Amino acid sequence: MAANLNLKVNGQEYQIKVDPAKRLLDVLREDLGLTGTKEGCGEGECGTCSVILNGKLVNSCLVLALQADKADILTVEGLAENGKLHPLQQAFMKEGAVQCGYCTPGMLLAAKALLDSNSSPTKEEIKLAISGNICRCTGYDQIIRAVESVVKARERN
Amino acid sequence: MAKKRGQGIAAIIYGTGYGNGFPDVSSATVEIHDDGSATVHTGAVDCGQGSDTTLIQIAAQELGVSTENITLITGDTDSTPDAGTTAATRQTYASGNAVLRAVRVAKQKLLQYGASVLGVNTPEGLEMVKGVVSVKGYPQKQMSVAELAFQARFSGVRLLGEGTFVTHTTEVDPDTGQGAPYWPYAFGTQIVEVEVDTKTGKVDIIKAIASHDVGKAINPQNVRGQIAGAVAQGIGYALMEEVNLGEGRINNPNFSQYLLPTSMDMAEIEPLIVESDEPTGPYGAKGIGEPAMLPTAPAILNAIYDAVGIRLNSLPATPEKVLDLLVSKQE
Ligand code: FES
Ligand code: FES
Repeated sequence: MAANLNLKVNGQEYQIKVDPAKRLLDVLREDLGLTGTKEGCGEGECGTCSVILNGKLVNSCLVLALQADKADILTVEGLAENGKLHPLQQAFMKEGAVQCGYCTPGMLLAAKALLDSNSSPTKEEIKLAISGNICRCTGYDQIIRAVESVVKARERN
Repeated sequence: MAKKRGQGIAAIIYGTGYGNGFPDVSSATVEIHDDGSATVHTGAVDCGQGSDTTLIQIAAQELGVSTENITLITGDTDSTPDAGTTAATRQTYASGNAVLRAVRVAKQKLLQYGASVLGVNTPEGLEMVKGVVSVKGYPQKQMSVAELAFQARFSGVRLLGEGTFVTHTTEVDPDTGQGAPYWPYAFGTQIVEVEVDTKTGKVDIIKAIASHDVGKAINPQNVRGQIAGAVAQGIGYALMEEVNLGEGRINNPNFSQYLLPTSMDMAEIEPLIVESDEPTGPYGAKGIGEPAMLPTAPAILNAIYDAVGIRLNSLPATPEKVLDLLVSKQE
């Protein structure tokens, strides 16, 4: 049995038929081919599957696809605009915040969700905002510094 | 009683590579193309530690071209020569050396041809810098790498190089314990400051300074990242990570029970790079993968002792264990 699903992902409208048992994560990766969103644990513990759904950061492995009907979703593929990387992406590159890269899409979206709701977060607020996203490679320091540098650049402008 | 701070230090020596006489071999091939760019093939797999970047930098440096001119193909059993596993802190050292050797062979072929074209009697009389081959001491006489490579190939010279590096070790004599089981050795020292909550037994890391001898940091940012990440793993090992086995099963097979450090558990990490120049390494480099996590746990345990005077003899130093020891110390 397939169900109708209407989604807006990264500004683009989709009308698709999906297996109702699928998670949002599966639809993004398998049906829409947006493999930037990663699956780490599949049970809401690692944050690698983070996407922004109607303005809120969610673990897409814990959202049934049909729960996202008519939702507006941002995945890592939608961060760059007109071929230009988002300031967070540029800062991640500059600060060396990417090693294996598996946590990176989720980290970027967690940071984006923070900056959308708080334009000048403190270091503690940044740490808290990414605390649901596990990184095994970097030790977090470079990631925190990358977000801080975007905050500082914004404050200067 | 309240929160108490303490500092601890630990130093390590660590043998990198497979060691103990086990065959430790890396191979690579390189071809210089008509436009002066080059393709490197090697089995070395980048798992996120940055070996791709490092190997590209080594090839670019040796060829005197920018990194954009190097294409690296790795980890394809169909087309890349074996370079051993990405393990034992060995890829920068062993595969870095293999790539360097392969590039030198290809470069030598180009210079050999260049010597005849530029009219010097030996390729040693040429140097290759910034995409240009020129006569030493007479730089007016020069040609771009691209032009020379193009001419060479159309004269039937194929600019291919193969390089293999074998790490030299011996088995340890089981009777005497003597031998040369590893090469090269990595050295490191870390200082950690902790804060122990004497009411709950929880240990917080305040700051970690991690100083490591990497021979030569081919990519300093990558090296600092490796060190910081290793300290994070060391903190997890010291304070929270424990595989709980029961009747042949893992009882805590998920991240809500097997705890990894999150951003909230991390302290300020200050990686320090020491460059001692390893004479057998590519440009003096040796590995940093594993050694950087080794001093963290002992430094933390020493810091706990410094703070509250208790010695932990098993890991991880969970709040329960710390509190138990604090209570029995008081009794
Ligand atoms: S895959 Fe969704 S939280 Fe880990
Ligand atoms: S970069 Fe590897 S998990 Fe974060």
